[in-house]
Amino acid sequence: MPSVIDIAGLTKRYAGNFALKNVDLVVPVGVTGLLGPNGSGKSTFIKAVLGLVSVDTGSGTVLGGAWPKQVKSIRDKIGYLPEDDCYILGLQGVESVQMMAKLSGLPSTEALRRAHEVLDFCDVGQERYRNVETYSTGMRQKLKFAQALVHDPQLIILDEPTTGLDPTQREEFLDRIHALAHRFEKSVLLSTHILHDVQQVCDHVIILVRGQVRLSDSLANMQRPIQSGLQIRVVRDALRLAESLRRRGLRVECNGDTELRVNGEMASISKTIWAASKEESVLVERMDEARNSLEHSFLEIVSEKNHANS
Amino acid sequence: MPILDIGYRKWSGNRSPEWSRWSVVAGTGISLVWRGTWLKRFLLFASFPAIVTMFGVGLFEQSTQDESYRRMFNGFLASRNEPLGPRNRMNRVRNPEPIISPSDDIATQRHKAWSYLLLWYFRYPQALWIVVVIGLVAPRLISYDLRSRGYLLYLSRPLSPKSYVFGKACVLYFLLAMITTFPAIAVYSFGLLLSNDPSSIFQTWDIPFRILLATAVLVLPTSAVALAFSSLTQESRFAAFAWFAVWITGWVTYLVLTGSAMFNADDALKLQQRWLLVSPYHVLGHLQEEIFGVLPAERHQIGPWVLCVAVTLIGFGIARWRVARMLKV
Repeated sequence: MPSVIDIAGLTKRYAGNFALKNVDLVVPVGVTGLLGPNGSGKSTFIKAVLGLVSVDTGSGTVLGGAWPKQVKSIRDKIGYLPEDDCYILGLQGVESVQMMAKLSGLPSTEALRRAHEVLDFCDVGQERYRNVETYSTGMRQKLKFAQALVHDPQLIILDEPTTGLDPTQREEFLDRIHALAHRFEKSVLLSTHILHDVQQVCDHVIILVRGQVRLSDSLANMQRPIQSGLQIRVVRDALRLAESLRRRGLRVECNGDTELRVNGEMASISKTIWAASKEESVLVERMDEARNSLEHSFLEIVSEKNHANS
Repeated sequence: MPILDIGYRKWSGNRSPEWSRWSVVAGTGISLVWRGTWLKRFLLFASFPAIVTMFGVGLFEQSTQDESYRRMFNGFLASRNEPLGPRNRMNRVRNPEPIISPSDDIATQRHKAWSYLLLWYFRYPQALWIVVVIGLVAPRLISYDLRSRGYLLYLSRPLSPKSYVFGKACVLYFLLAMITTFPAIAVYSFGLLLSNDPSSIFQTWDIPFRILLATAVLVLPTSAVALAFSSLTQESRFAAFAWFAVWITGWVTYLVLTGSAMFNADDALKLQQRWLLVSPYHVLGHLQEEIFGVLPAERHQIGPWVLCVAVTLIGFGIARWRVARMLKV
């Protein structure tokens, strides 16, 4: 699989404590979610890739360039949206995007034209002529996104990009990420705590725990259940339906009074489910192929690690 | 909402070389400080001493044609270049001794006269203006970025902490050049235009270089110290306080230490040399005198030069270290 980041043996210590410990990581082309609990080393990893922190060991390639040797020229091909609330005091929104374009080497007029274009794409209206310190948190997120995109980078690194956005803005934001990845062939590394965002836009997931890669796999593989089965939602009386299914020899897990999961071959168990629902007069509202929830997998991986460490 | 939203588009084109990106930091900084009304007023006032210097150059050129202007010119010059204390200065003004010796040829006289006038320009009014302008501008240059984490935006592009600090320093270089180098070059050009003798350009060819060196000596260490203060705090007022405190404390200490021999020129000279390094203002003044070639050989010291270089290196080193340190998670 082609990769945008391929780094081996990455170690970073702060005052003797490992922030990243011998990390071997391949970030494939596409949208990759970088997950991990607080202090797991996500931000350190991102800053190390950008060359903003020096690393103790590690080498590899980022966007085809030798890392960390050519990290300065690599930065020209990366758009970075920092987690921190950062802005240049006194500049208008459009000026700060233009400045970022100029820092990436665009000529002044072209930088201004491009800044307006990207601000339109990010849905920043006339607010672009206001000083950035007067922006709300949501506006600042949009502005940072525009700054990350203005030089048309190959790889976009987004550190907690949807923080402070209302639900509508968040959906729009994720749509933009999806469009950039699928229509404009951008690779995106999305570091977030919001698993829903990952589930919605990512093709690949990396989980970091205590400075080590715990999992790196495609989202589809992560969500594939170990056992096949069906996820059922009923209007009510899920427990009664579950009891009936157990009497018929099926393995059933209940999740409240409206959801249950039935394990087994889909073709054979579906007939039994319909028969049981008819007999118990339980109305089936929805039936899907059973999948592992990302949240479940994430918690499992993190707790496994915690358990192993304790 | 935009009238026409064409959505995201790919971009390809020629980019400026990486080594030149510090100029964006400088350009942005200049554009931001230029929005301040007070700064523009200060810069306007700071250009007035150049007019006085031009008047002096004009007076000298007139004196080369008309002897009656010679005494007036010597008085003008003596009242502006007397470092030996108030009583001595008053005597000189009352009975001006000729700084420009009538026995010298006209080429030597011209070189000496222009050098003295430019020294006065750099040494007295502009050195003070520099302190004021840097005190107004420099404290916020890095501290604002530290407070708003703007440095992350700069450094996420092909820019090292070193080039970031250099870009910020260029904001100061530009402003200080506006009140020192450009007016001084204008004074020099004015002198050439007023001079009836075309060979004056050959007689004074080294003066523009002395102007550049004098500017560098004034600007480099002061910018380095100011940026170091700015990088050490997120509150620009603390940096401004530290900046003015260094100058005022140094000056007052120097005056106290050398004041006991104020009315005795010989003792004063010895004390001034001994305590010179205490006051940044007097160190810079000493170097200006040396650059413009008016310092007697026996007063030459290596200490001020070493101090100047050390302060510049340490100042920039601190600023660079602080910016790089802020990047740590």
